[in-house]
Amino acid sequence: MSETHYHEDHGAIADAPLIELVDVRAAYGTIEVLHGISLSVPQGSVVALLGPNGAGKSTILKVVSGLLQPTAGEVRLAGRVVNGAPADELARLGLCTIPEGRGVFPNLTVRENLWMATMSGVPLADVEEIAYARFPRLGERRKQLAGTLSGGEQQMLSMARALSVNPSVLLLDELSMGLAPLVVANLYEIVAQVSQEGVSILVSEQFARTVLGIAQYAAIVLHGTITKVGTPAELEDELSAAYLGS
Amino acid sequence: MQTFLQYTILGLAIGGSYFIAASGLVVTYTTSGIFNFAQGAIAMLAVFTYWQFRWGWNWPAPLALLMVLGVLAPLLGAALYQVVMKNLRGTSEVTKIIVPIGVMLGFQALATWVWNPTSSTPRQFQKFFGPNAFVHFGSIKVSWHEIIAFVIAIAIAVGIRLLFVRTRSGVAMRAVVDDPELLQLNGGRPERLALISWAGGSFLAALAGILIQPMIGSAMSAGQLTLLVIDAFAAAMFGRLRSLPRTLAGALVIGLTTTYVIAYFPSKWTWSSSFRNSLPMIFLFIVLIVLPQDRLRGATVLRLRERFRMPSIRTAWIAGLVLMVVVFCLKVIMERTAVNTLTLALTFAIIALSLVLLTGFAGEINLAALSFGAIAVIVVYHFGTTGSGTAARTTLWGILLAAVVTALVGAVIALPALRLRGLYLALATMAFGVFVSRMVLTERNERDIFGLKFTIFTAGQLTIPKPKIGPFDFNSPDAFLFLCAGLFAIIGIGMVYLRHSGYGRRLAAMKDSPAASATLGMSVVRLKLSIFMMSAAIAGIGGVMMAAQIGTVNSDRFDILLSLSLMMITVVGGIGYISGALFAGIFLIAFVQMLDLTLKKFAVDYSSIEAIFLFFVSVVTVLPATIGITMGKNPSGAVSDIVAGLDQIKQSKPLVITLVGLEAAIWALAATDIITNWHFVILTMVNLFIVPVVGGKILLARAMRGVPKPVPPELIGIDRPFTFDDLAEMDRALDLEGVVVLSAETVREGATGVSA
Repeated sequence: MSETHYHEDHGAIADAPLIELVDVRAAYGTIEVLHGISLSVPQGSVVALLGPNGAGKSTILKVVSGLLQPTAGEVRLAGRVVNGAPADELARLGLCTIPEGRGVFPNLTVRENLWMATMSGVPLADVEEIAYARFPRLGERRKQLAGTLSGGEQQMLSMARALSVNPSVLLLDELSMGLAPLVVANLYEIVAQVSQEGVSILVSEQFARTVLGIAQYAAIVLHGTITKVGTPAELEDELSAAYLGS
Repeated sequence: MQTFLQYTILGLAIGGSYFIAASGLVVTYTTSGIFNFAQGAIAMLAVFTYWQFRWGWNWPAPLALLMVLGVLAPLLGAALYQVVMKNLRGTSEVTKIIVPIGVMLGFQALATWVWNPTSSTPRQFQKFFGPNAFVHFGSIKVSWHEIIAFVIAIAIAVGIRLLFVRTRSGVAMRAVVDDPELLQLNGGRPERLALISWAGGSFLAALAGILIQPMIGSAMSAGQLTLLVIDAFAAAMFGRLRSLPRTLAGALVIGLTTTYVIAYFPSKWTWSSSFRNSLPMIFLFIVLIVLPQDRLRGATVLRLRERFRMPSIRTAWIAGLVLMVVVFCLKVIMERTAVNTLTLALTFAIIALSLVLLTGFAGEINLAALSFGAIAVIVVYHFGTTGSGTAARTTLWGILLAAVVTALVGAVIALPALRLRGLYLALATMAFGVFVSRMVLTERNERDIFGLKFTIFTAGQLTIPKPKIGPFDFNSPDAFLFLCAGLFAIIGIGMVYLRHSGYGRRLAAMKDSPAASATLGMSVVRLKLSIFMMSAAIAGIGGVMMAAQIGTVNSDRFDILLSLSLMMITVVGGIGYISGALFAGIFLIAFVQMLDLTLKKFAVDYSSIEAIFLFFVSVVTVLPATIGITMGKNPSGAVSDIVAGLDQIKQSKPLVITLVGLEAAIWALAATDIITNWHFVILTMVNLFIVPVVGGKILLARAMRGVPKPVPPELIGIDRPFTFDDLAEMDRALDLEGVVVLSAETVREGATGVSA
């Protein structure tokens, strides 16, 4: 299974979902936190996971990225069951995950951080070129330790990885956390662009409004289950209930 | 000038070897976050193995080197990571320190087992190209070995630097420390990188050992070699376990100063040799204190796998009484030597209490408990005894004075070390312990200290009489046994009181988060200082009792390795429990000795298969370390398992009655000499292990057949996944029918996927 596989078959399997979760359950220790999640992300679309703190959004992303093994159910990538596949293998196959709030290695320089992105097969020169072209600020600070960058710059650095490794699937966890609204808007603009290139994106957010602008579908996650799925317009009313109710 | 150059070159060579060992520490710490205390032991094993190949079996040097450095050492390192260190993720700092120490002690026991140190022919370890391979630079001659050592050190410094900065794998190794998960999400393989780095670290340790052994020019000794490479810790710390150039600088400074001390200190200074030996530790202590440390960290609350439960004060009193009764019952049936062993075990248990107080309650680490004991013993020897000959007694005032002095020494050590935490504090105390061993306990000459003429460690051994407190004379073995048992119980109960007090809660708070404690207005400094002093005082009292039980002690009794063993076994027992300390004393002294004696007795009784039993005698020497190594899998300690097991038994009265009844019967048989003590021990073990297990099975079977006990509403979902049926159940129990909007049905209806 090569990473370009998805792109080549774009036309043929356009209707088939690229990520599919079928009745997935997951637990931390003995405590189950996902009670049967079923969800699919069609190719080239942006699906947003919305819900309050502790609802299980990040856990869903962890399961998809391979960091957490589901206790039941199936995770499918491009139609193949990938339960039990280690995260690093999935990453090399074209699944790019930007984890919550810490997408960079603080004790590595900017350049070294980008170097780590090359493990999925893209040469360092290309990664640097794409990253610095998109975020000139990173180019100025290529020798600076990532830990000394500002929060927005750190998020740029982690997004630079997402842009440059040419992924098939992009998982974004709480992109907006701790960032100024202007920065968030800017980041989501990039996400929208990436999605137009055919990348399927699953993004979790607490701060719902910005992401609804670019998402084709959204799912409301509450207490480890998906309570509602639909287009952003359909979910308008549900959203406030999800945050304020129960 | 010639002397200067000669010693400078030797110093650079020794410093270079230190650097090689230290760079191994940096590499393994970088990728796994574990400070490899076993680095010295790996070096030691490599030296012995190399000796075996090279001179034991007369292999050519290149083949022996290839075998040790190219094959065995990397394999050992990789195996260590794969089997032991990998399991340490998510454990507390203490466990991360203790497990490598277990490995270190295990290797040491292994080396003593395989290469008997008392063998008649001393093992000679020669420099590369033989002892006479010199190069002459003008008037000075330098051995090839020293040149090789220095050149290799520089090459390794450059090589590792290039690896870490210029190669992707090297950068990835540094990335592992920052965030192994993120590296995985990037497509890296953190486990494989850590494995490779441990193989490399082990290689570097082996190389350092083989280079350094012939340069120090003494006979091969497992203990000495292990500690020798520990001198490299100072260099690694100077580089803050990160910077290689600084590590190199630190190593060279240590190498040079130690050789200059030999070269230039007047030979009439009797202490210069001990000073030379303790220099690296003094350096380590200073480095730890002077270098900037991490600030108090708040934000992250570590989710640890360790769990401790404090007993109530009532339980503590009952347990104390039970201990006294058990000790009495044992005393009735035991022989004199066994009573002595039990007493010694209890004195060690008292010392272990100091560790429970410091580490279990406050989260600080002291690796040199016995060194505080040594200081107390010195105080008692000089100031705390009355009478002479058989009438000599240790006075109460002597013991109290010793406690006060050790507390003050504890404060002196803790005060500069207050900013340190975890690994750094552990290393600082270890530096202190090694310093005491090498500098203080070797003081056999009369000195003029503050106008007071005395010898610190007279003739290499001190005699401590049994104490007499007021009208009570504890000179008889039985009386002293009860004194030690009583002392343990009282200190233990006192500690439970302490833990339940506001002070104890502040300690627990500080253990969890020093930053949060500080923001709540607590004086972290005062807390740390007071707990360190208290702990040191307890260790001092325990040390005095230990010395009084043995009678005459030499400096070996306070060896740093023994302190490390005690710490390790206390963690194995459960560092958060009073009973963990008791476990440590009994296990380390009584249990190991009992196994040893039993096996030796069997070896005599069944001489045809003597070899088998003697083999197991050696196995016993490795046993404590092996148990320490398993800590990674069960970081809460053995006592917590026993407690969990007891909880099960307590639910069934018949089982408790059977257990106690059987034990009483066995004891009665032993007391009336119907069965021997060996049988008593074996039957007791059978009773204590078999009955709960079999009983537990029966209980379980009964529980399976019967109706399950209803779960109280507040516990629903705690020990198993929470389901929506539980919600309904909870609503019923709490009379909330219809209040909760979210029911199982509505949720399930909503849980359909997106259709494209």
